[in-house]
Amino acid sequence: MTTAPATPRLTVRHLTKRFGTLIANDDVSLSIAAGELHCLLGENGAGKSTFSACLYGLLQPEAGEIAIDGVKVELTSPAKAIASGIGMVHQHFVLVPSFTVLENIVVGTGSGPRLDMTAARSRILELSRQFGLEITPGRLVADLSVGEKQWVEIVKALYLGARLLILDEPTAVLTPQESERLFAIIQQLKASGIAVILISHKMNEVMRSDRVSVLRKGRLVGTVTTKDVTRDDLTMMMVGRPVAQVHARSKPGAGETALSFKGVSLAKGGRTHLKNVTLDLAAGEIIGIAGVAGNGQDELLEAVAGLVRPDSGNILLRGEDISVLSVHDIARRGAGYVPSDRFRDGLVSDFSIAENLILGQHWDERWRSGPFLDETATRRSAETAIASYSVMASGPDMLCGRLSGGNAQKVILAREFAKARHLLLCNQPTRGVDIGVIEFVHGELLRKREEGCAILLVSEELEDIFALSDRIAVMFRGEILGVFPRDEADITRIGPLMAGHAHGAAA
Amino acid sequence: MIADLLETSIIISVLAATVRIATPILLAALGEMIAERSGVYNMGLEGTMLMGAFTAYIGAYYTGSLWLGVVIAMITGGLMSLIFAFMVITLKVEQIVTGLALNLLGSGLSIFWLRAAFANAGQTPTTPFFDTVPLPLLSDIPFLGPILFDQKILTYVAILLVPATWYFLFRTRYGLELRCAGENPKALDIKGLNVAARQYAAVIFGGLMAGLGGAFLTVGSAARFVPEMTNGRGWLAIVIVIAGLWRPVPVLLATLVFSFLDALQLQIQGIGVAIPYQLLLAMPYVCAILALAIRRSHSGAPAMLGIPYWRR
Amino acid sequence: MIERLGFRIEPRSETTAKGRALAVGVALAASLVLCALLFLAVGVSPFAAFQSLAQGAFGTWRAATETLVKATPLIFTGLATAIAFRARLWNIGAEGQVFAGAMFAYWCQSALAGNSAWIQLPVIVLGAMVGGGLYAGLAAILKTRFRVDEVISTVMLNYIIVFALSLLLLKGPWSEAGGFFEQTAKVDPGSILPILFDKTRLHLGFLLALVAAAFVYLMMKKSPVGFEIRAAGSNLRALEVQGTNSRRVILMVMLISGALAGLAGMSEVYGVHYRLKAGAITSYGYTGIIVAILGLLNPWGVVIAAILFGALVNGATFMQIKTGVPSALIYAIEAILLLFYLAGWAASSFKLKRIKP
Repeated sequence: MTTAPATPRLTVRHLTKRFGTLIANDDVSLSIAAGELHCLLGENGAGKSTFSACLYGLLQPEAGEIAIDGVKVELTSPAKAIASGIGMVHQHFVLVPSFTVLENIVVGTGSGPRLDMTAARSRILELSRQFGLEITPGRLVADLSVGEKQWVEIVKALYLGARLLILDEPTAVLTPQESERLFAIIQQLKASGIAVILISHKMNEVMRSDRVSVLRKGRLVGTVTTKDVTRDDLTMMMVGRPVAQVHARSKPGAGETALSFKGVSLAKGGRTHLKNVTLDLAAGEIIGIAGVAGNGQDELLEAVAGLVRPDSGNILLRGEDISVLSVHDIARRGAGYVPSDRFRDGLVSDFSIAENLILGQHWDERWRSGPFLDETATRRSAETAIASYSVMASGPDMLCGRLSGGNAQKVILAREFAKARHLLLCNQPTRGVDIGVIEFVHGELLRKREEGCAILLVSEELEDIFALSDRIAVMFRGEILGVFPRDEADITRIGPLMAGHAHGAAA
Repeated sequence: MIADLLETSIIISVLAATVRIATPILLAALGEMIAERSGVYNMGLEGTMLMGAFTAYIGAYYTGSLWLGVVIAMITGGLMSLIFAFMVITLKVEQIVTGLALNLLGSGLSIFWLRAAFANAGQTPTTPFFDTVPLPLLSDIPFLGPILFDQKILTYVAILLVPATWYFLFRTRYGLELRCAGENPKALDIKGLNVAARQYAAVIFGGLMAGLGGAFLTVGSAARFVPEMTNGRGWLAIVIVIAGLWRPVPVLLATLVFSFLDALQLQIQGIGVAIPYQLLLAMPYVCAILALAIRRSHSGAPAMLGIPYWRR
Repeated sequence: MIERLGFRIEPRSETTAKGRALAVGVALAASLVLCALLFLAVGVSPFAAFQSLAQGAFGTWRAATETLVKATPLIFTGLATAIAFRARLWNIGAEGQVFAGAMFAYWCQSALAGNSAWIQLPVIVLGAMVGGGLYAGLAAILKTRFRVDEVISTVMLNYIIVFALSLLLLKGPWSEAGGFFEQTAKVDPGSILPILFDKTRLHLGFLLALVAAAFVYLMMKKSPVGFEIRAAGSNLRALEVQGTNSRRVILMVMLISGALAGLAGMSEVYGVHYRLKAGAITSYGYTGIIVAILGLLNPWGVVIAAILFGALVNGATFMQIKTGVPSALIYAIEAILLLFYLAGWAASSFKLKRIKP
């Protein structure tokens, strides 16, 4: 920890934020010194986002006070927060793709009707030189890589004069190499006296901070100096109980080939999504696809599910070419698909649990009596699903839009697992759910595997991939760069491939 | 008879009519373009124009001043769009449904008021209307002069608005912020800027222009008000904004194409070519659908057009 | 702006039915007050005006049945709009689909003139549904194949078909021999919708409209088709991911919606006017949109709202005779009702919150 000056950069005292009856932040107090990297750790729903939204003036706390450099501030709007020297890089990019880097940074600043682009450009170049951020002001944001967009976001905050920078899950979309760059940049920021709050749940990043504050269910469990604690200590603080690490599992069965890709390629919108993908998946096997988001994983699963048609190549399900079949026909052959964006692709929010469970099968004889839907049958099956997947819901008639992320995911799992007699496609099954649900999902996937179902798993959480996969395939720009049995796979082999470096290249 | 159409004097008269007919649509379309650039689809354009046309007429009739009529029409257009803005920006009501309600309001109020003001529905009085103002020297240029520089003042205003809106959108700080509101309002919000205020301003500007466009229909040319006299011009303006890729110059060109069809139609009827007039009248609407169906590029639309902004 | 007064508008986490009813009630009351002001503006006592409106609409048995006559086409167009809006397809084209239904029915029926009613009546009903459906289907194809927004295509189609009808009627193949107006000759007596009660004009079309409402109710609530329509309205993409072809759903919704709208045209031509002319079938499509929204997009709600609007139309004529208020006022009243209703409904999902000064 840096030697703290007399007044901390940020002081928060007794901050409380309620949403109706839910207390999102309960009496949180902490302080952060200038030049400190302070990590905010907690599960999904622990209150990290609410806390940072209060700091940035997006939400107003019911109680508590905030001081910057010892001066009390009323953060009733982002404008006030910016004026107080607080900057924030949001979890999802807040950029205009059709604007240039320069325009994205400049918009909303300055005074008078004129746009002084020349002065702005030189300031931006100066900032990027100072902190080692490589950006080109004249380029369109749409043409930037994910990493470059992240640098633009940081410059945006610095351009507004941030002395306290909040980074919300900044590495979620970065390659391991880009994450390294980010930490180098953070070093530069610290050196110039900027305090950085890093919101993360990745332990290897958390361990690089100066101090850590752990939130659980809205309460501050404690603030610790990082070098005094271990990862397990922090996990224990975060979850409040020991976490079962290893699931018992059998040897990968030498089942028959359930799914095979034969030279599958796909391009759309001038981009290559899949490039000559060839891969076999056996019954009772889990293959995990590792890769940075947007390297063709979504398209790989969508091609199997029938949502996109490959330009060339074939996809065989138990020997039958399914690349020409419709979504409905593929599902009927025993394939389930858990999409990554559950409220966009997986559920109809205005429908009840019972209705969502028959979505896509609503013409099935099973759910009909005569020309009408058989409500008794659908409700009965929904009650069974709610019980066996322990969905926290008032009953089969509860609207899915009112379920929490974890419970919504359980409804999707119930529907898709029932369909998946031979194949299960799983995209980000644990995104945004808390550890209890993650454990549940892992257990269910392994159970499904024991039943002899083939599972293709895509996750940005390498922990998911390592915990579950029999083999791990690495995807980069639509290509499978390598497939490893789990015992031979580790981050030093997979990391470089995720960034597109071929075998043997130095990390 | 086709040869008649190719005579220079006829070509000039058709093209001059094109520019004249383009005026109200261009005004409304440029206003709508600004509103849509800020992310709001004002589907109530038709009703706003209609109320503009009506209030300009009734205003000019009672005050005896054409310019007061124009001002009243613009105020009315601004008020109509203020209602729209409140409904869709503050209350976040569906933009399409609100627009329809506004169209029905414009249609209902104008007919009712007309009937209430003049008991004899068959014979409503006429007002004077604007004369053309030939620009010195410029109007003497052969061919171009009579087409472009022997028009009414509102026509010059509409044409000057093309470079003006371009400069505003692409060269000023406010224009950049306005476009940002349509592309990604959150990017403004997190910099502490008020998204709603910018959208209100853009929508109200659109309303002022639609009111002005409507005024041109009555005090600019017809000198009287006929129920439903906008006859789809507001909707055509919306189509033109889409076909014009939300950019001032293409919007001008698209407006001229549609107006040319209309001017040609008048001319053809005038010469008495034996084509049923209904076919000619239906042409702009058919072309509007075709224009949208065959356009190759679907880009250019503000990314958050029509989607209300919620801070989450 | 409102922040300066120390308040902030925030969305409610849950909107209660009570709060919603209250907000809508206030909005409707406010719109009545506004209407009263309009009456005052033209120098008529609002009480006298409202009274004559009510009297004209329900004062006598004959007036009441006449209200139902006026409500009939609105039930059809209201149902048509409600189905489309439920699927979040903004079919603004009921107006044009009414024309298409009437025209196609007339085209089919005129070839069969002289046959018995048992042949002609089914033909006009089916013809109207096919005509309206096809015209709406055109907008569906434009949307799914050519990415033309349905709002714009349906509005344009509304304008186009008016010219098409005029083309056929004015010195065209359908114009009345020796006639002066843009209209057809009287239709064959065998094709006229039977009157339900003596000395009234209430015709079979009204019963047909109620049957249509019941059909829509059952379809939406119980059948897989309704399931798809409701799902499409909430999340079309999820439906697609689960293996339902969204193009098929869009086409299906538009066909059903157009068919219902088409029936309105048939019912006016063969139940009320006995000839085809633009004036007989104009404006029901647009009013149907208001009816659908005020009826909460629910079939029975549509029937009630349609009867209310039928009463307005019917009462307004009487009001004009009695008080001299132009009957055109009701169009303004309808729009004001809709605006206030929308505002009230939306406002109930917000709350004003006091913030620290």
